[in-house]
Amino acid sequence: MQETATASPTVKETLIGQRVRKPDAPDKATGKTRYINDMVLPQMLIGKVLFAGRPHARIVRIDTGAAQKLPGVHAVLTGKDVAELRFGFVRDNVALKDKVRCEHDEIAAVAAETEEIACRALELIEVEYEDLPGVFSPEAGAREDAPQIHDRFPGNKSLAFEFRHGDLAAAEAASELIVDNVFRPHHVTHCCMGTSCAIADFDHNGKLTIWTQTQYPYNYKMDLAPALGIHPGDIRVIQPPVGGAFGSKLDVYPYEPIAALLARKTGRPVKVMYSREEEFKASPTRQAAIIHMRTGCTRDGVLTFRTADVLLDNGAYTSWGPTIPVIMMRTTSGHYRVPVVDFKAQAIYTNNPYAGSFRGYGNVQTTWATAQQMDMLAEMVDIDPLEFHLKNAQRSGEVTPQRSFLRECALVECLETAATASDYSRKRKEYAALRDAPGRYKKGIGLASSIHNAGGAKIHKSDGIGTILKMDDYARVTVITGASEIGQGIDAVITLIVAEELGVPLEHVTLVNNDSDVAPWDVGVHASRTTFIAGNGTRRAARKAKAQILNAAAKMLEESPEDLDLRAGSVVRNTDGAALIKLERVLRQMHFQAEPELVMVTDYYEPKSEPEGAAHVSDHSAAYSHAVHIAEITVDTLTGEIKVDKVTVAQDVGRVINRMGLEGQIEGGLAIGLGYALSEDMRIENGMLKNACFRDYKLITAPEMPPLDLHFIESHCAEGPYGAKGISELPTIVIAPAIANALYNATGVRIFDPPMSPEKVARAIFERCAPAGSGAVEPRLAGTAA
Amino acid sequence: MSETSEKISAYLAPRRLDEALQAMADGDATVFCGGTDLAPQTESGARQYQAKLLNLRRIEGLCGIDTGGGEIRIGAATTISDLRRNAPLAAIAPALVEAAEHFASEQIRNAASVGGNLCNASPAGDMSPPLLVLGAAVELACWRDRAVQVRRVPLEAFFVSPGKTVRRPEELLTAVVFERPADGFVSRFRKSGPRPALEISTVSVALGARIADGRLSGVRVALGSVAPTPLRARHVEAALEGRPLDATTIAAAVAATADDARPIDDVRASAWYRGHLVRVFVEEVLNDVRRD
Ligand SMILES: Cc1cc2nc3c(=O)[nH]c(=O)nc-3n(C[C@H](O)[C@H](O)[C@H](O)COP(=O)(O)OP(=O)(O)OC[C@H]3O[C@@H](n4cnc5c(N)ncnc54)[C@H](O)[C@@H]3O)c2cc1C
Repeated sequence: MQETATASPTVKETLIGQRVRKPDAPDKATGKTRYINDMVLPQMLIGKVLFAGRPHARIVRIDTGAAQKLPGVHAVLTGKDVAELRFGFVRDNVALKDKVRCEHDEIAAVAAETEEIACRALELIEVEYEDLPGVFSPEAGAREDAPQIHDRFPGNKSLAFEFRHGDLAAAEAASELIVDNVFRPHHVTHCCMGTSCAIADFDHNGKLTIWTQTQYPYNYKMDLAPALGIHPGDIRVIQPPVGGAFGSKLDVYPYEPIAALLARKTGRPVKVMYSREEEFKASPTRQAAIIHMRTGCTRDGVLTFRTADVLLDNGAYTSWGPTIPVIMMRTTSGHYRVPVVDFKAQAIYTNNPYAGSFRGYGNVQTTWATAQQMDMLAEMVDIDPLEFHLKNAQRSGEVTPQRSFLRECALVECLETAATASDYSRKRKEYAALRDAPGRYKKGIGLASSIHNAGGAKIHKSDGIGTILKMDDYARVTVITGASEIGQGIDAVITLIVAEELGVPLEHVTLVNNDSDVAPWDVGVHASRTTFIAGNGTRRAARKAKAQILNAAAKMLEESPEDLDLRAGSVVRNTDGAALIKLERVLRQMHFQAEPELVMVTDYYEPKSEPEGAAHVSDHSAAYSHAVHIAEITVDTLTGEIKVDKVTVAQDVGRVINRMGLEGQIEGGLAIGLGYALSEDMRIENGMLKNACFRDYKLITAPEMPPLDLHFIESHCAEGPYGAKGISELPTIVIAPAIANALYNATGVRIFDPPMSPEKVARAIFERCAPAGSGAVEPRLAGTAA
Repeated sequence: MSETSEKISAYLAPRRLDEALQAMADGDATVFCGGTDLAPQTESGARQYQAKLLNLRRIEGLCGIDTGGGEIRIGAATTISDLRRNAPLAAIAPALVEAAEHFASEQIRNAASVGGNLCNASPAGDMSPPLLVLGAAVELACWRDRAVQVRRVPLEAFFVSPGKTVRRPEELLTAVVFERPADGFVSRFRKSGPRPALEISTVSVALGARIADGRLSGVRVALGSVAPTPLRARHVEAALEGRPLDATTIAAAVAATADDARPIDDVRASAWYRGHLVRVFVEEVLNDVRRD
């Protein structure tokens, strides 16, 4: 796949598709990087939050007297201090609460000289609660007699979404085969290595500077301002290096306004940072849901319709989590050619922890359902799943019922590549035949795919980015960009693109992208959009700079600008590649001539996509992409342990930009998806999290990472930078159902409620072999001696 | 819980056992070996430090594995990594080394001690089942009458309930000892958790027995995580003792697990799954021994 670099002087060597390391890698690997969590400002106080520790209660009385008097305490705040400062997607949240609606509700906050004093002060705060009956599942919350969580949201109803297309009754009538299942995707959380942290400081003009981990600095101001009662324009957002975000920092969470409120009250900088236990309890989750899905097809295996009736566990407040149906419905309607669609989703308030956005954004949950139903239907039609997928796969130029325009569609190529590389069809048949043969360990292979936006998603009014590019007298380039770096590697991509366009070494490019008072607008790191959007913005800015430089150089050299190019730090002649003058000399001459000019260009790029709109019929992304995963597993049918032996990935990436970054994103995305599939599970009982630590919350660790066989399909997206598409969510989305399908292939059992933990798998296999009431104790054990 | 104090007022790292025991005589010392149980427990607030913090790691003679004589002796401060790398021990007591093999991660194994594992008295402690099937005893030492006094307690009688043992506050566990197993002795260990690495046992099973002419004798079976303490599975042992190791005996032993295991539902696993795994592992270790 690697493009061969050539030494010919007339053919330009390209960096596109090469392996480039992240500029910050040495500092991170050696511990030099100062993360926000490490930051200390002069005069800084430590803020601590008193959490309710109960799921639903009335606050009868709070007494902060003793805490206020403790030496070293500078401020104590409670719900009274923030009464009408509502914030959040539907303004249902407030930094400090007047009523308890979930375990981690923030009841009071203190700012003190040290953490010890702050903790001691929390212990001195007396709160009397009157516990209320709670709502711990969306079904329970939807019942007529359910306790009400918010007065303003009767029936515990949060957001609702609907999309219908085609004549469902007719499609059902035309369907010879229908699968009908209820899937229950569970709660998981991001587990960022850097726990949530914010430092706030007000100046005496009332302007707030906030150091945060946010991944959407500009709309963040808009969302934070109402929680403080100030104007968004009076907020400066600074983003120091962060230890992960994965969607968890795509909203304002109460600790941020709390830091700011304490800072305003004390007139000093205040830092609020969560412990790991607080992080587990108080950071957002992936949305749990109940998905009732039906899919139909003809006897020949042609899809006829798909319906999804989704009940979402909103949790106590509405963050971005409940908006995931926007993406869920795109998959419901666009994962393979589905002529008739009926989608509805209702988010229900519960007293559980509340959901935010998380890599995959609803598509993890939906693909868990759609990709398993594709496998089930293939079996009912009795054809190889690969053939079934190919039969229903869209081709370039097709348009989905929601009007997603699949300009460059490589689904067929992804399917064929992955199936061939893994010898899928042969293995699937072989393993299925061995399913009921004696033997404790069973092998299985499973195929799954999905579709995702790969050119941003115009959920907000703008999906654009501003870029400023300047060059100094030594040909060093600074790119001032709205694109946030949260570990995903946009720093390497931008550096690579600038070096590609301007012919400068990678090390000569500096990025400034962490201060909202300096860098221009961007909607944020989400929706797999940053390489696509910021890549385009950077390329356009670099090309403007290049045109300016070549024009000036042409004048100096008495050549025509079209005959010149920038390579290896020089202006070269296109025809023979001869270096004519050093780039830095050109820049100095431009600067110091009679009519001086500096190279400093600006660009605003807005992708050609349509706003989502209330009807959800719009080409909301500038590109779409597919990925296919084929998982090969070994199941211990007695303990239920699943070992993932290998994953073959074929993904339409448009074009490889930074190969190393791409591999890293796919590996990292898969690790999150594997945890979701196999072991990660927030054990929430009656609203209380029972496993708020890494001992009992099981992330995937290095020994469980399977070998990966990665295939990058290059569909050359016309709108993407150099043809690239966004890539980073699909790896998380597709892997879980691939394993579920492999589990079925191996054992004949299907798990509808992730994770596929050893216990669940063992139980399902046990029950399959010993039908209830058969009296058999351990039917399989006898056969295990061999 | 023992009496608590708010602050540590003294940190002690003695070189001699008698110094350590004198420091413990008032019962107000927190013993710290690897700290891999203690640190998380104090951090979460489940436990408080007492006035003195006593580091065991520098005490001479508290660390080391002696496999030379008729009695095998493992010093309390010996790390799990030391066990794992000890070739003579692997030949004598493979179950113990297997348990070390599946213990936590490299970093934890380098710090965690055998004595700490036993004194922590978790039903999931991985050293307990293999040591129980080896018939081990612990040595408890204290400072009394101006001298070091040592008593031996069989490991079976050591555990009282989760986190509680018969060790008195002024006593230090100094060593674990067991008789060199006779010829023909076999032992096995098996544990499970939802993830292969860095895992607290959902269930663990150890088997130790002599095998001669296809029959088992001196059978010891121990189970972890299925009751408030690690325990000997007496019914399973009875089903095996003196019997030919065939399919019928194995089936009887598997069935007898129901009389020994008293598993509960908790955040890590359901009682059903624990009971199921005990059956699976008992059968697995017996089949494994039978094949050899
Ligand atoms: C990430 C992680 C993974 C783990 N995985 C496992 C695992 O797989 N299997 C397992 O069994 N355990 C596991 N543990 C628990 C722990 O590592 C072990 O129990 C370890 O053996 C404890 O030894 P230590 O030296 O660290 O004990 P410490 O924490 O120092 O002490 C434990 C307790 O024993 C007391 N104590 C220690 N030594 C003595 C002594 N000589 N005399 C009297 N009292 C003493 C201490 O006061 C304390 O109460 C894990 C822990 C962590 C943090």
